[in-house]
Amino acid sequence: MQKICLLTALTGVMLTTSAIVPAFGQDEVILRLIPYHTDAMVENFNPNNPTGPQQRTRDFTYEPLWIENLWHPDQDVPGLAMSYEVAADNLSVTWKLRPDTKWSDGEAFNADDVVFSFDYAKAHPDYPMGIDVYSEETGTGNVVSVEKIDDLTVKFNLHEADSLARYGLGGIYPLPEHIWSSIDDPKNFANTKPVATGPWTEVRNFSRSGYEVCRNELSHYNADNKIDCLSFPQMNGNEQTVAALSAGDVDWLGDGLTDPDVTFLPQSEFNNYWLPAGSDVNLQLNTTKAPFDNLEFRKAMSVAIDRDTLVDISTFGLTTHTRFPIGTGEMFNTWYDEAALEPYAWLMAYDPDKAIEMLDAAGFVDADGDGWRDNLDGSPIAFGISMPSGWTDWVNTGQTVAENLQDVGINASLKTMDEGAWFDGVPQGNFDVYVMWTNGGATPFSQYHPMFNPRLMVPGQIDFQAMHQMPIPEIEEALTAFKSTSDRDAQLADIAVVHKLVAENVPVISLFANPTWYEYSTEHFTGWVTEEDPRYRPQLHDGTRERVLHALSLVPVAAP
Amino acid sequence: MIFLLRRLAFYIGAFFLAVTFNFFIPRLMPGDPSARIIASFQGRLNEAQVDAIRKSYGLTGSLWEQYITYFGSVLRLDFGISTVQFPEPTASLLFYGATWTLVLVGLAIFFAFTIGSLMGIHAAWHRGGFFDSFFTPINVMLNAFTPAIVALLLFYAFSLQLQWFPLGRAHSTSIVPSFSFEFIGNVLYHATLPVLSIFLVSFGGWHLGMRNVMINLLNEDFVILAKAKGLSDRRVRYRYVARNAILPQITALALSIGFLLGGALVTEQVFNYPGLGKFTFTAIGSRDYSFIQGQLLLLTASVLVANLLSDIANVILDPRLRS
Repeated sequence: MQKICLLTALTGVMLTTSAIVPAFGQDEVILRLIPYHTDAMVENFNPNNPTGPQQRTRDFTYEPLWIENLWHPDQDVPGLAMSYEVAADNLSVTWKLRPDTKWSDGEAFNADDVVFSFDYAKAHPDYPMGIDVYSEETGTGNVVSVEKIDDLTVKFNLHEADSLARYGLGGIYPLPEHIWSSIDDPKNFANTKPVATGPWTEVRNFSRSGYEVCRNELSHYNADNKIDCLSFPQMNGNEQTVAALSAGDVDWLGDGLTDPDVTFLPQSEFNNYWLPAGSDVNLQLNTTKAPFDNLEFRKAMSVAIDRDTLVDISTFGLTTHTRFPIGTGEMFNTWYDEAALEPYAWLMAYDPDKAIEMLDAAGFVDADGDGWRDNLDGSPIAFGISMPSGWTDWVNTGQTVAENLQDVGINASLKTMDEGAWFDGVPQGNFDVYVMWTNGGATPFSQYHPMFNPRLMVPGQIDFQAMHQMPIPEIEEALTAFKSTSDRDAQLADIAVVHKLVAENVPVISLFANPTWYEYSTEHFTGWVTEEDPRYRPQLHDGTRERVLHALSLVPVAAP
Repeated sequence: MIFLLRRLAFYIGAFFLAVTFNFFIPRLMPGDPSARIIASFQGRLNEAQVDAIRKSYGLTGSLWEQYITYFGSVLRLDFGISTVQFPEPTASLLFYGATWTLVLVGLAIFFAFTIGSLMGIHAAWHRGGFFDSFFTPINVMLNAFTPAIVALLLFYAFSLQLQWFPLGRAHSTSIVPSFSFEFIGNVLYHATLPVLSIFLVSFGGWHLGMRNVMINLLNEDFVILAKAKGLSDRRVRYRYVARNAILPQITALALSIGFLLGGALVTEQVFNYPGLGKFTFTAIGSRDYSFIQGQLLLLTASVLVANLLSDIANVILDPRLRS
């Protein structure tokens, strides 16, 4: 009898434990996502380390002052700050911080942490925290100092009037002073035990093949947070990630796909994707060289390019047309003065006959009889369009553009190179034609400023956006006016000037808008951002502060 | 002894030459590790920050100064910090990658050598028989396949379509690495297809090598004598013929073990296996100087050590070298 009792008791214990253990695992809601491809996870949660950690750590673990909702600027969301005020003279920005906020180790967050973060960024220029610190030595940057007004108020002082500084400052991820003040070399600090204020801060099960970051018990997001942990599996290669999503092992991706209707959608009934138009892709011409220094030649190039083929075939139908030759595409179409831009729309239309006519009229004819057009001084025209060899859609694009130009008598060819060489070719200015993306940002200013800043056109330090090296002083003036006012109408007028000048001068040739990569599975979560409900930018990559709101708004599918 | 000392001097010279090449080869490629990092900031860095980043990666100063620093750190066995997997020390990444490469390529070499050699012995002993005329051409054909095709076919068939095997990685993410049966089983399960893909293209070589040497030996006097003495078939086959035939195989094995740490690039890419080949591939693309240097050094060292060991083995086995 005793034996039987013991046996029953034992069986009972075994049954309950075996029932509890897996159930405990299932009860946790885990969102699995791959914002960054890597060969191995590194135990590094440093929010300002650009080699991977910030892709998984920012927004989810570290919180910015302000969460810009780029698609709905009127619906932006407070982060570590509750409100901001740009001074009337645009020479300072004051932030009111969120009261009763605690770092995940229990210490209080206050203005001292923000002041510390600025001073820290200033002291460690090799550890860029996204603050445009003013340097007296070089005259670069704009943020001069930060003052603590009271425990929950901080004021940033600017060197020159800048109504846009609040976008950059709102994007700072403040660091806890009590941790980082003792770190002398922040770039090399792996920050293995992150102390932050975001919704998920507790690292668990770290291995080189993945880890989880779990709920911050002190986070102010907790009331709305249905997700206990984020899981970051290590993967490298789109075949792996897409297969993992299809198998239900991953929920959220931001990977490039080829032919997604064939290679991706049929793999699982839960697979979904949406590719909203992202930043523009431009042909950058080296305007310090002939024949690119000739406006008529640049215009003829623009009409010689068959953009329908680029969009539909070269880039597999995944890119989007842009209407006007303004270099930025449709991302900022709320800033267009369509009536003023309409007269330039012809530059985006494919018309090889017109190109031939324009080239002939401008004097670009075949002088030496080799079948190709020559420069005005008789020297032959022959150039390569540089592309990183692995970037299939862009390689196809370069090929198509080269063929289009050959059709009108221009000896252009595709020149593929290793990615490292491609990146390296830019700063020295030793190139003819490149293909380049445009920067993102909250306003068109963030795209045009690097494109027309003369400081970034100096050989040796040419920026990716200013490779054309054509300074247009009126554009610089309009951009300065744009950032020194916070009046929307005045800004619209300034940007209209910029648009018109870009369209007139054709410093870059607009091709198409890149897709924004976004794939998700509805197997474990619903409530994803869709084309019908475009409430946030759905990218998973760093630089999309809204991604934390997107994650928090997901609804776990109840276990069957 | 003089022979060994001479060889040793040669190896030390080769090693120093390799250390120098390792430094200059990555730097001959255009681009440096900071270019990509600076590009990833999309123009949000000002000049002071760009300079500070380049300086902190040790990319300032003359090439000669950088070389002296590098040589000094190599002698202290300090391989620097990886810029791709920042701020992980290169040494720890090399160790990690080497572990998985040893599992993957080590298992593949072990099976390919054992099974290939056994098949070769069998085929040679019964040359012209069914086994020989059936398997020898098939193995030769398999040996001519490239690893890329075999790996992709296996991946497509058994991982993507039939889903019998995982889609890559060295082990499941849900298992914490430990010396448990569960973990080791999981590792072996994940290694099955990658190991098979290397095995399939390499065991034919061992088969063929063994078979050819065996056939040559079968006509030697000592074998005929052994048979004439009435020794058992088994004894003649293994103790007399195979034992002699295996010597060149072992030299070849030493070499392939030396090259083992080069990793299996294609297989590791296809199966997302975290081995040295995969890390090296990424490192080259991103100009991760310290990792490329470390990996080249590891490869050089392992090839040299394997050669040295095979030299020593030769001295022991071959009395003629000792005089």
